Amino acid sequence: MDRQEAIEFLLDHYQNPRNHGPLDPVDVTMPGGNPGCGDIVTIYLKVNDAGDQIEHVTFEGTGCTISQAAASILTEMVEGQPLATIDDMDFNDMIDQLGREVVNTRPRCATLALGTLKAAITQYRNNKIRADLDASSA
Amino acid sequence: MAEYAHPEVLVDTTWVAEHLNDPNVRIVESNEDILLYDQGHIPGAIKIDWVADLNDQVVRDYLDREHFEQLLSAKGIGNDTTVVFYGDKNNWWATYALWVFKLYGHKDARIMNGGRAKWIAEGHDMTKEVPSYAPTNYKAPERDDSTIRAFRDQVREHIKKSGVALVDVRSPQEYSGERTHMPEYPQEGTLRGGHIPTAVSIPWAQAVKEDSTFKSRADLEALYGGKGVTPDKDVVAYCRIGERSSHTWFVLTYLLGYPQVRNYDGSWTEWGNGVGLPIEKSYQG
Repeated sequence: MDRQEAIEFLLDHYQNPRNHGPLDPVDVTMPGGNPGCGDIVTIYLKVNDAGDQIEHVTFEGTGCTISQAAASILTEMVEGQPLATIDDMDFNDMIDQLGREVVNTRPRCATLALGTLKAAITQYRNNKIRADLDASSA
Repeated sequence: MAEYAHPEVLVDTTWVAEHLNDPNVRIVESNEDILLYDQGHIPGAIKIDWVADLNDQVVRDYLDREHFEQLLSAKGIGNDTTVVFYGDKNNWWATYALWVFKLYGHKDARIMNGGRAKWIAEGHDMTKEVPSYAPTNYKAPERDDSTIRAFRDQVREHIKKSGVALVDVRSPQEYSGERTHMPEYPQEGTLRGGHIPTAVSIPWAQAVKEDSTFKSRADLEALYGGKGVTPDKDVVAYCRIGERSSHTWFVLTYLLGYPQVRNYDGSWTEWGNGVGLPIEKSYQG
């Protein structure tokens, strides 16, 4: 993907965001933000019944082209993926996926959605641990 | 625009449209959203990015003289070039870039009134073609951090003095301490909320009209003078990282002609994280 193709790829997702909007039912709603340039992304996460795989993920947000396009692209990348795959996803991989030449001066914008998704998964696991503890002590 | 103290630093969109092919003029787009330029820009305009071009990439500071000379030379800007900045967000980043250029004493730097939004709203031509200009041999003096830039310890002394003014240009919620960032923006980046003692609150956007152009001189004088920010005072403006306050610095310095105005670019991300620095906080939530 050359520079222009990468830009067109990002613009397509920015102008036509996939998986956009709140999710119901939802396991975790996780807000994320980048104070450097004011981007906001909220990730809505639904995990499968076994608790080990993304069933569906959507997002809402405001901000620059890169941050919002990256969120849209990420939701397509992770649909149906094991949670462990998200654990293994590296911020550099995300930057490469978006087009390093285009986004390398805005790494926080490019990785905001991934970082927020990782946080959502952490919260999902913490919620599950608490629920399991409550169930076992009941 | 003739009403302003220094009307020569402000050009309108018509002026820009008439100077697109003027070899003595370089149009420069500076945005927060780095991909806007790629989506279309004023024909012949180059891009200067506040992150990649104007900041030091390691230390929280601006580029040094050598890199400034390299940047301007590579962009085809000579010492005598008229540089006209424009950008998104009511020219936030355009005034920020102009302020950095003034740290290096570039003589003729101007702002296109209304910025990118007005140019587009008026239906002027846009292009995706990236221009190329013959490099120059730009020579800059050492950066002057003493005249239009304020540092933390200077602000600490500033607030003890009389006959001075300190302007907090952030949103009222940031000023009160209810938030540490603009409304709808993430609540991150500083450990404490509030404002620097003695600061008056004059949000930067009060200086512009709905079409992104600056308000009249009379309206601006009433806005700032009404809060005690008058031309006889040594004035410091701050926001969160110094970008919004560069806009206010531009207004006070060039549109109203205040002789002594500095931008505290460390701003709230430095002050609100500083150990032991005094803070006033009116929000009691």
